[in-house]
Amino acid sequence: MDQSVNDSEPLQQPAPPRGSTNHQITAIMSADSLERLAVAGKGDSTRTLLRVIILLLIAGAAISSRLFSVIRFESIIHEFDPWFNFRATKYLVANGFYKFWDWFDDRTWHPLGRVTGGTLYPGLMVTSGVIYHALRALSIPVDIRNVCVLLAPAFSGLTAYAAYLLTNEMTPSSSAGLLAAIFMGIAPGYISRSVAGSYDNEAIAIFLLVFTFYLWIKALKLGSMLWGALCALFYGYMVASWGGYAFITCLLPLHAFVLICMGRYSTRLYVSYTSWYALGTLASMQIPFVGFLPVKTSEHMPALGIFGFLQLLAFLDYVRSAIPSRQFQTFLWVFAGSVFGIGLTGLVIATSAGYIAPWGGRFYSLWDTGYAKIHIPIIASVSEHQPTAWPAFFFDLNMLIWLLPAGIYLCYQKLADEHVFVIVYALFGSYFAGVMVRLMLTLTPVVCVAAAIALSTILDTYLKAKSPIPEEHLVEEPTDGTSKKVSKPGLRASSKPYIGIYATFSKVTVAGAMTAYLLMFVAHCTWVTSNAYSSPSVVLASRMPDGSQHIIDDYREAYQWLRQNTKDDAKIMSWWDYGYQIGGMADRPTLVDNNTWNNTHIATVGKAMASREEVSYPIMRQHEVDYILVVFGGLLGYSGDDINKFLWMVRIAEGIWPDEVKEREFFTPRGEYRVDAGATDTMKNSLMYKMSYHNYNNLFPPGQAQDRVRGVRLPDDGGPVLNSIEEAFTSENWIIRIYKVKDLDNLGRDHASASAFERGQKKKKVIKKKGPRVLRVD
Amino acid sequence: MRWLPALLSASLFAAGSFAAKKSSEERFAEFHAKQTSHAPVKLTDVSFKSLTTAPRDYSVAVILTALDARYGCQLCREFQPEWELLSKSWVKGDKSAESRLVFGSLDFGDGRETFMGFGLQTAPVLFFFPPTAGPHAAASPEPIRYDFTNGPVPAEMMHSWLVRHLDGRPHPPVKRPVDYLKWAVSFTMITGSLTGVYVLWPYVVPVIQNRNVWAAFTLIAILLFTSGHMFNQIRKVPYVANNPRGGVSYFAAGFQNQYGMETQVVAALYGILSFAAISLAVKVPRIADPRSQVITVWAWSGIILVVYSFLLSVFRVKNAGYPFYLPPFM
Repeated sequence: MDQSVNDSEPLQQPAPPRGSTNHQITAIMSADSLERLAVAGKGDSTRTLLRVIILLLIAGAAISSRLFSVIRFESIIHEFDPWFNFRATKYLVANGFYKFWDWFDDRTWHPLGRVTGGTLYPGLMVTSGVIYHALRALSIPVDIRNVCVLLAPAFSGLTAYAAYLLTNEMTPSSSAGLLAAIFMGIAPGYISRSVAGSYDNEAIAIFLLVFTFYLWIKALKLGSMLWGALCALFYGYMVASWGGYAFITCLLPLHAFVLICMGRYSTRLYVSYTSWYALGTLASMQIPFVGFLPVKTSEHMPALGIFGFLQLLAFLDYVRSAIPSRQFQTFLWVFAGSVFGIGLTGLVIATSAGYIAPWGGRFYSLWDTGYAKIHIPIIASVSEHQPTAWPAFFFDLNMLIWLLPAGIYLCYQKLADEHVFVIVYALFGSYFAGVMVRLMLTLTPVVCVAAAIALSTILDTYLKAKSPIPEEHLVEEPTDGTSKKVSKPGLRASSKPYIGIYATFSKVTVAGAMTAYLLMFVAHCTWVTSNAYSSPSVVLASRMPDGSQHIIDDYREAYQWLRQNTKDDAKIMSWWDYGYQIGGMADRPTLVDNNTWNNTHIATVGKAMASREEVSYPIMRQHEVDYILVVFGGLLGYSGDDINKFLWMVRIAEGIWPDEVKEREFFTPRGEYRVDAGATDTMKNSLMYKMSYHNYNNLFPPGQAQDRVRGVRLPDDGGPVLNSIEEAFTSENWIIRIYKVKDLDNLGRDHASASAFERGQKKKKVIKKKGPRVLRVD
Repeated sequence: MRWLPALLSASLFAAGSFAAKKSSEERFAEFHAKQTSHAPVKLTDVSFKSLTTAPRDYSVAVILTALDARYGCQLCREFQPEWELLSKSWVKGDKSAESRLVFGSLDFGDGRETFMGFGLQTAPVLFFFPPTAGPHAAASPEPIRYDFTNGPVPAEMMHSWLVRHLDGRPHPPVKRPVDYLKWAVSFTMITGSLTGVYVLWPYVVPVIQNRNVWAAFTLIAILLFTSGHMFNQIRKVPYVANNPRGGVSYFAAGFQNQYGMETQVVAALYGILSFAAISLAVKVPRIADPRSQVITVWAWSGIILVVYSFLLSVFRVKNAGYPFYLPPFM
């Protein structure tokens, strides 16, 4: 746009002369590649056949590398959130779509309940519901659990295919697409969220993300309304599936904006963008959870703003073609720029005045990285919202991480519209992945695409059997004036004419080395998947001294106990991490769960856990709590237990009741967080501490009680005494402990004195001072 | 001029020694006079004791801090301007002293005994002494303590903390002074840069439109982000750290941890590897001389092998169980 101020060519031919030559090159190249593809398709059908076979093999590899956990453990739903999705899917399959849509769940967030149908992304459940019914219709008897467990691996095969399509849009080399497909299939960054049993929104969302991007590039290249509408359709599916759709909502306008700034406004851009935006926004508003957010919140404003700006540009373009006067055109551009500026100012004012909701906490904390820690501890408390240290990048992407910049550099070489997209995506994707571990997932597709472009360029160069003849080029080079002129707008490195590799030896060296690195990449991916990402975390595995595997199944043991020994509507209080699992496996109502929509309610549970029994008991009575569930790893050395999470409970509670719960009081005066004899009184009297260490001493000889997670010896004072609750169940390895909340005392005593009486401690009689006996005198 | 009589009485009493037992009313008048001229009141051991003596019908908020550079208390120095801003705007907004709150500031250099008396090992700590007499008297004369466990706190948050303990009394809001200098500077900067861009436009355009510049910018940004730069920014990790053996360790132990220098090394390794890949893909096939081409291919392949092997060995430091390696760094 800036360049065109001092330029007077019509807009359709991109304004600066540099850009136009570039476009011609791309046009020639893409025509060339199309022709070549057409030839390959017609003449050489073996190539197509090979490609299909290779893609099928890639899909097979992608699926099979995700089955470690099924083979090692069993077909089981993993972790936390998947349990809710599984429960919702079961509800959908049992009750039908409309009931699911209006589902009010009174078994979570007791006593509030949750309008589940209106507050979830239904894409995942509907997908597996459709698959389930389709298989039933084909008279294949299949369990809904197996559909859910195997959904993520199945979609990973599709993701690999989507990556193949996307990459083929970027480069004429057909090997790049295949490389991208296999990278996408086995890169641990994606496997981390899509192993069998990881039945989460991301399982289908990554496929939708990549495929939507492919459709966008296709629509942009062709300027086609059909492809734009398809893009909107898949965008709608994506919105229905994952909250991360905002990434698309922000990336596509950004791409359009960058293109406009480069002076590459075109009718293709106009058609594809407007058809995507109009249809996509309508589609997204059909989801109850999204509703009117696309016109109300800040994170959707860039898309709306660019939509309006494109209308303006289209209008100006039309006026400009009608009135070819130079001054007038300058005026128009200034006008367009000022309208953009005024619109931006208006947006800022409307946001600060409260008409447009500001950025949601999760999105805002991506920019202002210190925001969540101060204002929303619940966001900061989630481990996947932490910033990413470099080993995580290398762990998840291995050699792709250093091929990424090389691929981006090659994109600069051609720099057609679609390459701009890859560059913008890579830049923002890597920023977001650096701020939040979880967003490694959105970075992985672009890394696979860029790395495939880089690697395929290398392999194509060094695997060409035909070698150039040295003399020919040595003579030809100095007189070659035309090629210099053509390649001027490109990068410095590619200004010389392309020759090829002379020596077979060089070819063998590079191709051999790259093959070795690729083999190592495969080994790395397998190792990472098998060691880090295939644990269901519901079932733990450990090794016995003789090397055999020992399965620790405390979670399911405890949930099964709840299911079989408690009333159907017994309310279970636990920290929110276990809410979904209790709902899914034990089928009991919970106070809080992993859908952390109500911070105050979570803080209430935090307060109950962090306070003295006398304070906690009324809270639990008010919430009709029947049982309390805590996770304790001290016996086994299981570090993800509640005592280690305890500080977050304190912090979240402190955020609401700063006068009643104080984080400082859980630290010793020297600032240490201790659980042994040196622990503070507040710590020792807190309900969580008491529940964790109740009766723990009895497992050990006197004075030997040890906490194996914290690595400390516990005080030898008989352990904490519980008055208002009693132990109901403790699992085999003490990982889960369940306590029953006592009813009010029959005789109206307080619990402390009632249980003291039962322990046989006599209540100390208050001896009334009566004074010396006085002789009665009549 | 309602503070004039207060000032008068204060100057009268200032002559007398602290040892003389003054009434709560007098002490408040004295310290309030001080804070009207300069808030917060700079305290010493003696005046601190006098200010917080038990029968008091006013509240006291004191920051116990260590501003001297010797103690290296970064947090103290960061919080001090906020504290001054809060106390100044409070005192200014409450000229008639209806809230009966005295803001104090006690530096470690002036108040060692007080620090020892409270058994403080860290600074800064804020103490709020509620009144023990009068309509807002608290049940316990003990001060309420505020620890800066979550890092520096803006004046507004401190304000809301104080307000919680001062119900029923006026709460003058924090007024940040308009920084005219900052406005002037930014205005000058903006106009200056606009003029500069306008004048230099013909020279700026080639830079903006230069693909090499943009490519370099993008690649550097991507290398920074993928080598954990944002982690350094957010967690404020040290550049290097001392190890127990008295040396300097450049690589942090543990998978979830890193040092500043470590990320720079990793970014450089990634950069070299990328550059080698670019050279093999783009530059080498354009070398016209067969001999130099062979040498270049060998050089870059060797560099990739050595650097990648080094990268893997660094990664094995972070992740002890990692089984893969390449020669020469086994």
